[in-house]
Parts: sequence; C-alpha cells; structure tokens
Amino acid sequence: QRLKAAVHYTVGCLCQEVEEDKDVQFSKQSIAAISEITFRQCEIFAKDLEMFARHAKRTTVNTEDVKLLARRSNSLLKYITQKSEELASSNMEQKEKKKKKSSAVKGGRAPGEQEASVTENEDSSMA
Amino acid sequence: KMLSKERRSSQKQMHSHESWSLSPEELEIWDRLYRIKESDGIKEPVLPQVQFETIENLEETPKPEEGAAQELSLSEWSLWQNQPLPTSLVDHSDRCHLFIAAMEMMELMRHQQGDCSYERELRPHLRMEDVDIPGNQRHLSTANPP
Repeated sequence: QRLKAAVHYTVGCLCQEVEEDKDVQFSKQSIAAISEITFRQCEIFAKDLEMFARHAKRTTVNTEDVKLLARRSNSLLKYITQKSEELASSNMEQKEKKKKKSSAVKGGRAPGEQEASVTENEDSSMA
Repeated sequence: KMLSKERRSSQKQMHSHESWSLSPEELEIWDRLYRIKESDGIKEPVLPQVQFETIENLEETPKPEEGAAQELSLSEWSLWQNQPLPTSLVDHSDRCHLFIAAMEMMELMRHQQGDCSYERELRPHLRMEDVDIPGNQRHLSTANPP
C-alpha cells in the first residue's frame, strides 16, 4: 500500500506536467487508473528482467536487460539507449570526481548528483 | 463442403513441394478462396502503427491510400474487455490479466463523481520520503505534509 501510494503520487505529478505541457485535464479516476497499471506493470517488468538476466546466466539485472524491455519499438529502444548512455557517462564523471575528492577532502557527494541519477532511473522505469 | 475438399487435396500435395513459397496449385487456391480482391467490396485489414506522443517516432511506414484499408481497432469493443474472454489452447498471460483488471477498475470508477476511492484508500499510506520529485511542484491534494 505504501508503495502504491508513492506510485500514485508520482504519477499524479507526472500527469500534472503533461497537463501544463499539452493543456489537457486528467480526471482523478484516470490518474488512479494509470497508477494501478504502472504498479502492476512493474511486476511484469520485474519478472521479465529476472528472466532476461537468468537467460544470460547472470543474477544481477543490468542495463542490457532493461533495453530488452523496450525491444518492441525502435523509437523507445533508441530513447532508452540514449538515456542509458547518458547515465553511463555521468557515472564515469562521478567516479572521476570521487577520485579527485578522495585525494582532497573526505566528503559526501556533491549536492544534486544523487537526485540526477534517481530521476533518470525513474524516467526509464516509467517509459 | 467445397472448402474442406480443397483443403484435403492441398494437404496431399504438401510433401511434393519443399520451397517456402506457395506451389502453383496452392497459389491458385489462395487466389480463388482467400485473397481479398477489389470485387469483394471489403477493405484490406491492417494493424495500427505504434506512435509515441512524447518521444521521436522512428517508424515511418508509407500509409496505404486512404479508404483502401480497414485499420483493426483495439479499443472499439472496450466494454467487452473487463472479463477474461474464452481461450482455446493458449492461456491468458499475466499481461493480459493486468489489462482485464485495469478495464474492470475503470468500469467501476466510470460512475464516480469528483472524489476518487483509490485516492482515499492510499492517502494514509503516503510517505513523502518515498517520492522523489524534482523542481517546485504544486503538491496534489493527496499529499499530507509530514
């Protein structure tokens, strides 16, 4: 229930962005329906990802498995692949930064780094 | 019936041709019995193309001339979709059950005015630390500030 509530809230926020962007209105019922479908679709994604990883004799799900979820549409696959590359290069940058940091001051991440990666993950899971 | 006799005879010849394409006999049968011709007065059935609203669409296929094809609709009979339809050999998948459940949920909510039961049910469970929304968003009425 707690997870469903979080999904519902996030879907609500995303729908709001669309409302402002496209000048349409979502009824509360339609937002609820999208949330429920998203929640259930996550179960299906999770099972598929597990199977894809196992198919490659891995126990860890990686980005290649995620790309397979988008295999039915070239447009979607291209979008996800692009996002995945962005994520990979930003991870590289972070590693570089960490190397520099660890030699200088012991500290946490730079503000904003964590948020950026989470948001991108969210994008790909919502697609 | 005529048709079953045709089928039997074409099965007899099955072993005689091993190419991927139809044999002349099969081609003749297909042309006469199954092929859609202009004289039939029915349109060629086509499946709808995938289109995304929010990302660039790569799949650009030439559309058949207007009115020549009948696009198969996946939504025309939505009122029939809130229950599992009969199966023959292949069971319904999880994906299919999700779809049926969603259609059922929408059917139940169709008559609700304004306030939404789904929202009422989940509101007490929302924890703001679970959600990560960038930017300054107007909070939904679901949000109870902690």
